[in-house]
Amino acid sequence: MKYHINYLFSFLSIIVFLILWHLFSIIINIPYFPSPISVIKAILEIALIGDVDKYTLAQHIYVSVERVLLGFSIAAITAIPLGLIIGIKPLIKDTITPIIEPIRFIPPIAWIPLAIVLLVGITRYIFIIWVGAFFPILLNTIAGIKRTSNILIQMAKSFGSSRNQIIYKIIIPSSLPEVMTGLRVGLGVGWMCIVAAEMIGGEPIGLGRLIIKYAGLLRLDVVIAGMIVIGIIGMLMNYIILAIEKRLFKWRQEIIIT
Amino acid sequence: MSKEIIVDSLTKIFTQGKSKLEVLKDLTFDVNKGEFICIVGPSGCGKTTLLKIICGLEEPTYGKVLIRNEPPNPIKHRFGMIFQEDSLLPWRNVIGNVKFGLEIKGYNKKESEEISRKYIEMVGLKGFENYYPYQLSGGMKKRVAIARALAIDPDLILMDEPFADLDAQTRSLMQRELLRIWFGVGKTVLFVTHNVEEAVFLANRVIVLTKRPSRVKSIINIELPYPRNRLSQSFISYREKILKLFHEEMGVSEFGT
Repeated sequence: MKYHINYLFSFLSIIVFLILWHLFSIIINIPYFPSPISVIKAILEIALIGDVDKYTLAQHIYVSVERVLLGFSIAAITAIPLGLIIGIKPLIKDTITPIIEPIRFIPPIAWIPLAIVLLVGITRYIFIIWVGAFFPILLNTIAGIKRTSNILIQMAKSFGSSRNQIIYKIIIPSSLPEVMTGLRVGLGVGWMCIVAAEMIGGEPIGLGRLIIKYAGLLRLDVVIAGMIVIGIIGMLMNYIILAIEKRLFKWRQEIIIT
Repeated sequence: MSKEIIVDSLTKIFTQGKSKLEVLKDLTFDVNKGEFICIVGPSGCGKTTLLKIICGLEEPTYGKVLIRNEPPNPIKHRFGMIFQEDSLLPWRNVIGNVKFGLEIKGYNKKESEEISRKYIEMVGLKGFENYYPYQLSGGMKKRVAIARALAIDPDLILMDEPFADLDAQTRSLMQRELLRIWFGVGKTVLFVTHNVEEAVFLANRVIVLTKRPSRVKSIINIELPYPRNRLSQSFISYREKILKLFHEEMGVSEFGT
């Protein structure tokens, strides 16, 4: 019953938002500012007919998701092992932290000029998305390892566990939830970098590219349509990983405040 | 007779920066094979530290601990350590947790499965094999930890206030169960508690520690046959005697126990 009420509220709030948006577009009366109706029309137009280059919405989505997943996968493959080593070996942590700490505060967009000069084709997209996704995964992995309960390690030692057994049987499984959180956040950040990444790519396809193309044509209805699609897909990816997290880590008690 | 455990002039000092905390001072006692020893003392007197030194998790600052004339070695000596804190692996179910020690000791899958089931039944958790720790009560978790420690067939069982968070009924049940196991297998048991009645009910000898830095205040032989009757006059007089020693250490304000 409770869930039905929640759904109802969610639905109502979207309706109210659309009404307010619509009223706002009437009041300000700027021809470029689209009403929700024209945005919905734009979504349908791109989905069914295609954009000025005849690419449909599905094609744009497919290409963008593919690029993000590629960059994200490389980020996962590089960040998780590195995080594991940093988390386990204090000496490596001390060596690497002064390099990583300032780098992680450089926003992915600031890497764009470098990517333009040094890279070509799809490697540009992948690089920018990798930069975005890498640090959340790395930092969460390290945090997960640091949070391994000392009592569990002592317990393992009291049975005579070797160092490797402690790593494989205690440290890694206990940090997996944090690694997963890192993956979720990393995928989110990687996805949010898609527009920036596609700004520098040559191909006329991809959700970011779609937005940039139509911004040039002053068609803000399509721009906003593209933004909404990016938002919804990001949200869906987040939900999917959250659902996987919930299944995998049932043993992690969740705190629910009602 | 060769001693199972020798604790000789054991001193433990924790240093943190410039401050030093002397926890154990010049502690000496020994334990025979198959004995049930209870260690009681005021809270914060280093009982846990003592157990950790005996099973090799901490190093003595001065003095030494010998297990069968050798320094403690968790790989060689089979320790069944039951920690005061919850020490179950939250990502493993009950049987997975009980198997943990067996895996470390190198038992194969089939053996660990069989042995684990046997000990789960012994601690009264049959039917809960596939439950995860978050689905269990505090007392049940403790029993899983006990099953895990016993499953490896330890030479030495070390228990750090294992029954402290159990309700009175479960506690008394577990005490009798522990005695039953001890009678059956004749293990050496070192049992830390702050509950004097529990110590008198269980132990061959009770070691009373002083407050920090702890020394051995007194060692009392409990010459009562098992199973012990908590209401018998002799039981009560042992309890009173130890409580008196205990209260001398705690100061007058603390009663209870």
